[in-house]
Formats: sequence, structure tokens, C-alpha cells
Amino acid sequence: MSEVTATASNDRGFFGEGNYPGIFGWIFSTDHKRIGLLYFWSVTIFFCVGVLLGLLLRLELFAPGETIMSAQSYNATFTLHGVIMIFLFIIPGIPAAFGNMIMPIQIGARDVSFPKLNLFSWYLYITGAVLAVTSLFTGGGPPDTGWTFYVPFSAQTSTNVSLAAIAVFILGFSSILTGLNFVTTIHRLRTKGMTWMRIPLFTWSLYATAWIQILATPVIGITVALLFAERVLGTGLFDPSQGGDPIMFQHLFWIYSHPAVYIMVLPGMGVISDIIPVFSRKPAFGYKAIVVSSIAIAFAGSLVWAHHMYTSGMSDMAVMIFSFLTFIVAIPSAIKVFNWLATMYQGSILLDPPLLYALSFILLFTIGGLTGLVLGAAAADVHVHDTYFVVGHFHFVMFGGTGMAFFAAMHYWLPKIYGRMYDKTVATVAWGVIMIGFLILYISMKVVGMQGMPRRYYDYVPEFTGLNQLATVGSWILAVGLILMFVNIFRGIFKGDPVEANPWGGACLEWQIPSPPPTENFGEEDPVVTHGPYDFKKAGIL
Amino acid sequence: MNPQPLITTTEAVDKAFYVIFGISGIALLGITVAMVYLVWRYNRKREPVPLSQKDHNAWLEATWIIIPTILVGIMFWYGWEGYLSLRRIPDNAIPIQGSSRMWSWLFTYENGKTSDKLYVPVGQPVKVLLTSEDVLHSFYVPAFRVKRDCVPGMENYVWFVAEQPGSYDLFCAEYCGVAHSSMITTVEAIPATEFAAWLKAQPATADAGKELLQKHGCLGCHSLNGSPMVGPSFQGIGGRQVIVVSGGESRTLTSDRTYLEKSIVDPGADIVEGYPPAMPPYAGRIPEEELAGMLDYLTGLNAKEQSAEVTGDNAVSEAVKATEEKESGQSGQPAEATEPVNHASPGEDLAGKNGCLGCHSTDGSRRVGPSFKGLMGSERTVVKDGHEVTVTADADYLIRAIRDPGAEIAKDYPPAMPPYPGLSDEDIKALQAWLETLE
Repeated sequence: MSEVTATASNDRGFFGEGNYPGIFGWIFSTDHKRIGLLYFWSVTIFFCVGVLLGLLLRLELFAPGETIMSAQSYNATFTLHGVIMIFLFIIPGIPAAFGNMIMPIQIGARDVSFPKLNLFSWYLYITGAVLAVTSLFTGGGPPDTGWTFYVPFSAQTSTNVSLAAIAVFILGFSSILTGLNFVTTIHRLRTKGMTWMRIPLFTWSLYATAWIQILATPVIGITVALLFAERVLGTGLFDPSQGGDPIMFQHLFWIYSHPAVYIMVLPGMGVISDIIPVFSRKPAFGYKAIVVSSIAIAFAGSLVWAHHMYTSGMSDMAVMIFSFLTFIVAIPSAIKVFNWLATMYQGSILLDPPLLYALSFILLFTIGGLTGLVLGAAAADVHVHDTYFVVGHFHFVMFGGTGMAFFAAMHYWLPKIYGRMYDKTVATVAWGVIMIGFLILYISMKVVGMQGMPRRYYDYVPEFTGLNQLATVGSWILAVGLILMFVNIFRGIFKGDPVEANPWGGACLEWQIPSPPPTENFGEEDPVVTHGPYDFKKAGIL
Repeated sequence: MNPQPLITTTEAVDKAFYVIFGISGIALLGITVAMVYLVWRYNRKREPVPLSQKDHNAWLEATWIIIPTILVGIMFWYGWEGYLSLRRIPDNAIPIQGSSRMWSWLFTYENGKTSDKLYVPVGQPVKVLLTSEDVLHSFYVPAFRVKRDCVPGMENYVWFVAEQPGSYDLFCAEYCGVAHSSMITTVEAIPATEFAAWLKAQPATADAGKELLQKHGCLGCHSLNGSPMVGPSFQGIGGRQVIVVSGGESRTLTSDRTYLEKSIVDPGADIVEGYPPAMPPYAGRIPEEELAGMLDYLTGLNAKEQSAEVTGDNAVSEAVKATEEKESGQSGQPAEATEPVNHASPGEDLAGKNGCLGCHSTDGSRRVGPSFKGLMGSERTVVKDGHEVTVTADADYLIRAIRDPGAEIAKDYPPAMPPYPGLSDEDIKALQAWLETLE
């Protein structure tokens, strides 16, 4: 792919030379790989906290009535689970962690366009996270509104919603600045020969994502700022007795939060689009269609927000329009799935852990997407809206989609970044356990939702007991799988066998430099790109 | 004049479900089979070198754009058509006002009758006009596939028709705070004639104060019998000492009229220790004279007077029952005095008021629970501790089945019945006397 030759890979690459000693070499570093790792460890810690909270929720729901906590604690716990998983894990997860680590290398750059702004984004993220955690222990106690902060409840509750709103506001800025940085980097810093149609699909997906981050995130900032004003100043913008409208809040909230779903899942699709060609030794089928579908999802995905509101009382005309647009946005997602399958056709497939996680992305995302069609259809949505069917659906899409892509990215790129390999057998076993637990947990939720169990229910009628217990058992299996996976991969990257520059046989630029990569990625001369990202013949893999 | 046969809301929604699940099921099967086949067929052990490097095929790609587009078009259409059925109210639908608040429902019929359960006649469409007095709620009856949010400041509606008699769960589906999952009631579908009689029957003249508490939803969170719910119980509240937390500091207060009034209009100021700060302020939401009536009633609830009252868990059935007792004690002829159209025996009256008939028929037909017909004295197979045993339905069994229904579950029936500890021994005797007449 380039003229770069791998140097001896037994030096410690960018781990070796910090500008400051010890921890300061990390928290004051402007190197994109170090910032990527700061994000990686932060989001992973928050993911584990979120999982723990999720397990507590499932334990509470093991039987009707009070099992391990009070109703108020339960409501605070699911709020916290949602806020942490959405704002502190999934949104920054793949773009800020793996995007930072890998994207500049993929386009032949030495860093992002604004390295200091990049570090500042991480500080904003940590500030937001600290404020979110502070909101639990100050004021009126942990927020109990759900991550959706719907008014009038959120304007009335005496819990510490105001501070949580400030936290979300700050986290939003972190996301906007990362998006801005990535768009600029991809436009300006591509190396010689890296034409638009030679950009790896992971970077393409980050490009589409970054535009949503820039355009949609300000709206959540406005929304939570207005909520703050409603609580502190009593502005009454959402209070009908003062001429306001509670439904307007829902529109504002989802104008960001639906596109945010694509901020979460597009980078995951990018990871899968990069992994499948490498492990099939075949170029990505329909490269251009995948690129166009990413852009189409980013665009059409911004126009479907009110499909969260069919039962809210908005007009039937609005229901029809948003239902129609929702079905339109399903098409580019379907195209991607077909393209991934076609990539494997006539290939030479190696079922290594990154591919296993990528394939489970396809299966789980497909189930999540198809159940999304149930929710997109106006009549069917009326029955399952705000039930456990929705909870099952978005866990399939977010955890089965983005979460699995995050795990796939970990197994694919961490050996490159750390220069060490994990145990592939253990990784495969962990994958199997995760899949079993996942399917038991979330299919049970979908079924109990079809039967009519509303979400955010601390207590439930006895008919729902069996499926809730099954789901809880599933959560334990899933937890065992996750522990196995994390222990194995962390043991691997710190103590595993050293790996060469290109352990998987990839053709993109990140595989042409040593593992771990050197501080400025490339030697004295910038790389020159002469072929596409999946041209295994010209890259010398075949 | 309805030329077309009535399509129920359940049928309209289920049609969309069948179409979408059908198409999705086939798509999922196809994708899964293809994925497994490809991984098996083109495994590196079998194919060490890829058979091709082909990376596009315009016709193929066009096909898998066009076919999904057609399919999603079909699914959109069925979804939209079903939705329209939910929005088109049949001309003969009976209007009922459905008011929601934290955390209870109140249904008001055309003649002014109110109920916290939604009674509807079988076979007759009803439209429920939904409003909220505080935050968002959502009216959801899974059996009829209807859901619509209750939004402060606007009126939404749902319509449905119950084709079979029975008791159907009615949930609040929009998160509304600490007791969200307790905001459950039922739709009681009863035969049209029974419904007409029910509608005409005047509600028993309860204590005015108690009725006010029920009207404003107080009893959703505060019991009358001493059991703690979301908030502290009203039992003995007049003049008792309470420990409250005000601005982070605890202090002890006497629960007098001033305190009680402040607790209603500005509940956040003093929170009773051990309870969540969950109550919304009622300032400006209760008319002056009604507030005065409530305070009169509450200050009268001192410990001495309450000792005469009964023990029980369910605040609402408690209120009904207390009324019942009062009537029996005072007039001796409650049915005639307060319910002119209903000449039922006391036992039948109790069964109706406590909602027994929502799940147990009197004509031998199967509902949620076994029928009352021929129950007394019969041999019943029940599941106890996981084993099937045969018991005789005698007086003792009746007490067990009402007080602790989960211990012995009638075979082939769900363990759905909540315990009714609020029914006194006399009540159960009265019920038994009535049940014995149902041979």
C-alpha cells in the first residue's frame, strides 16, 4: 500500500517517549493514540459500571415487588444506567477511542488537525462525567427521570436533574469538538494518493458520524439548557398553564437523540466494514454503495426523530410522515448487510475473534433492525411503544450492534496499539458465552414486551414473572462472558506474545507500520498510497 | 349505521404485526442461513485462496436496493392502515373521561358517575378522552393494543371495544415517578345490561372527606389502614408526632391542621423521614372548600377514632369496604338505601365492589380465575408447593383463598390473584352465604 517499511517492532513505539514523566505524559499528551487510549480506558470503566447497574436492575426484576432495592433507588438506577451507557460509553465509545487511535493512521496523517482541541475534548468528557457522578450525591439525590428527561416530570422532581443537565451539556461539547476535529482531519490531512475513494470504510463512517455530531449535538445542548431554565428560573416554556408545550420538549430531545443513535451505530458499521474484507481476503463488496449508504443514513436519520412520539398526541399527518421516513432509513442499513455477506462470498474466511464479533454484529443488528421495523410501523408501535419490546430492541441495536463492534474493534486493533496478542481460544469461548447470555436476556425482554409489560416498571403483574426470571438468568450468563472476554484481552495486551506489524493480513495503512506504532506514526517521509484499502493483491497479502 | 363490520383495535394492530413479523422472519432466516453457509463453504481450511476478488455487481446491488424498498413500502402501508383504524372512532362509541395523575386513574361517565376502574359494556365501542393533571402518563391496555399519552394541557383519545367479558390490565406506560409501576388498574368488561345497571347505581354515599381524598388521588400513595405505601399512612394522622426532614435537618412536628395544609400545598418543604420526596405540590389544584373538607377529615383521623377502623392493605378497596361497613351498621338496609336498583345480597355486593367478578364468573364460564358457580363444597385440584393436591372448598378454604391466594393455585389457572386482607371474617361469611346459593 505504501512505501513505508516496518521497522523492528520490539521497541515500545509511542509508549516509549512521553513529553512529561509518568501519568502527565498521558493526561497532557496531544498524541492522538494516547488520547485514544485515555478515551478507551475511560469508556471501558464506565461501560463496566453501566453493566453492574444493569445487573442490579435485572436482579431487582427477578421477582415482583421489592427484591433488592426500593422503587426510588430502582428509578435512579435505570436513569444512571441509561445516562452512563449512552453519554459516557456508546456515543464516545468507538469514534473517540478507536477513531482517535486509528483514523489518522488510516489516512496517512501524523495526528489530527487540532491536537490540543482533541485533548480538550477529553477533558470536557471527564468534566461531564465527574458532574454526572456528582449529581448522585448532591442536591436532592440521584436523578430519577430516565435518560430522556421528559418534562413536566423532570421539571418538577426534587432530585438533582439540574446538575445532570449541565453534565449532558458539557458532554455534548466534547462530542461536537471531536466531530469538528475529525471532519477537518479527513479533509485536510490525507496523505499523497489517499483519494476519497481510497479512504478505508471505518474512516468513512467516522466522517459521516462527525457531521451528525456537529449538526445535531447543539440541539441537545439547547434542550437541556431550556430544561435547566425551566427548573431554576421557572420559564414555563414546556408548561401548558404558561403557554408552553411538553410535547415540544420531546421534539427537541429527539431531534438530537435520534440522530445520536446513528452517531452510536455508524462507527460500528465502519468497524465491521473494515474487518470482514480482511478476514475474508476479499475487497469490500460495493465499496461505493457502503460509503453512500453511510452518508444516506446520516442524512435520512436526521429526519425521523418523531417516530419516538407516535402515541404522544402529535397529529396523524406527522405520524404518517415520520413512519414513512423511518422505513426509508431502513434501506441503506439493509444494503450494508447484503454487502457484508457478498464480501464473504468466494472469499477465504478465517474465523478469528475479530470476525466472530463482527458476525455477531450482523446477526444481532439485523434482529434489532427488523424489530425496529415493527416500531416504525404506526399501528404496531402503538402496542409495543414504551414496553420491554423497545428495551429489547435498542439493546439489540446498541449493545448487539455498537457494543459488539466495540468488542470487535478491541480484538482487531488493540494488538496493533499494544503490540501484543491475547489468547484466541479464550476469546472465542468468551464470544460464545456472551452470545448465549445476550440472546436469552434480550429475547425474553422482547417477548415480555409483546405481552404488554411497560418499561421502567419497578414492579410487575405476576403473569410476567417467568420471562423476567429468564432474562435475569441471561444477564448472569452475559456477565460471565464479559468478564472472561475483558480478563483475556487485558491479560493479552499487557502480557501476551509480541505481534508483528500485520497480524491479520490487512491492506490499510495502519498495518504497514510497526506494532505499537511510533509516536508520529510514520518515519521521516509521509506514506504514498497507490491502491485501495482492500486491494490485497497489490498490498502483497495474496 | 355502520355498513362495514366493526374492525376491533386488536384486529387492526395484529394485522400489521403479522405482516411485519412474517416479512422480517423470512429476511432474518435468509440472512442467518446465508451467513452460516458462507462461513462454512468459504472457510480458509476449504479455500486457502479466495476464489475471486470481485467487488461489485451493479445488477445484484440494484436488486437488493429495489426489493427491500418494496418490502418496507408494504410494511409501512399496513402499519399506517392499522393506525388509521385506531384513530377512527365508531359513531356509537360511549364517551368516558379518563383523568390521570400521580399515580391513579379516574374515569368519569356521562352521567357523572366516577370509578377508578374502567367499566365498559361488552360489544360496545367506548372512547376514552385522556387528560393529565400533573405529568405525562400513558393509557395502555395490552389486550386491546391501544396506547395514548395523557399530556397536561391537551386532550388525547383512544377507542376500543371489548368483545369478551373479563378483566383486562390497564397500565401507565409513560414513566411518571416513584409509583409508576403501581399505576395499574383494570378494564372491566361486563355485559351491556349489567353495565347499564352499574351506571345507574349511585355510588354509596361515603364520607365526604374520604371521597375527596379519592378524587384527588391521595389514596394512591397514602393508605387509611396504617400500611406504608409511597407516602405515610393517613391512619391516626390527626395530631400525631412526625419526624420530618426540612432542608437537610430533621425535626419533630405535630401533625396539626397547619402542618397538613402545608404538606398538601407545598409537600417538598417538610419530608417525612424515611419516605421519598415524591409528592407533587397541590397548590392551586384543589378548590378552597374541598381542601377544607379534606383537612376536616384528616384532622379527625386521630389514633383513637381509627382504632375502630379495619385493617387491610389495599387503600381503595379499603375505602369502599369501610363505607360498606358503615352503611350496614347504620341503616341496616344498605342496598335499598343507597343502591336503589341493586337488590343483591350483601355477599354479592361485596363480590362486585371488591372486583371479584372481574375474574370469577357466576355462570360457570372460565375467566381469569375459576367460576364461582358450584364452588362451595366441591372438590378442587390445586397446586400447593409445586404438588397437586385435592381440597374441599369449605369455609376454611375460602378464607385461605382470599387472604393468601398464592399458596394454593387452582389447577390450570394463572397465579394472578392478589391477596385481599381487607375483607373481614364477617365479609367472608357473607360471601360464603352468597356463594352457596350459586349451585
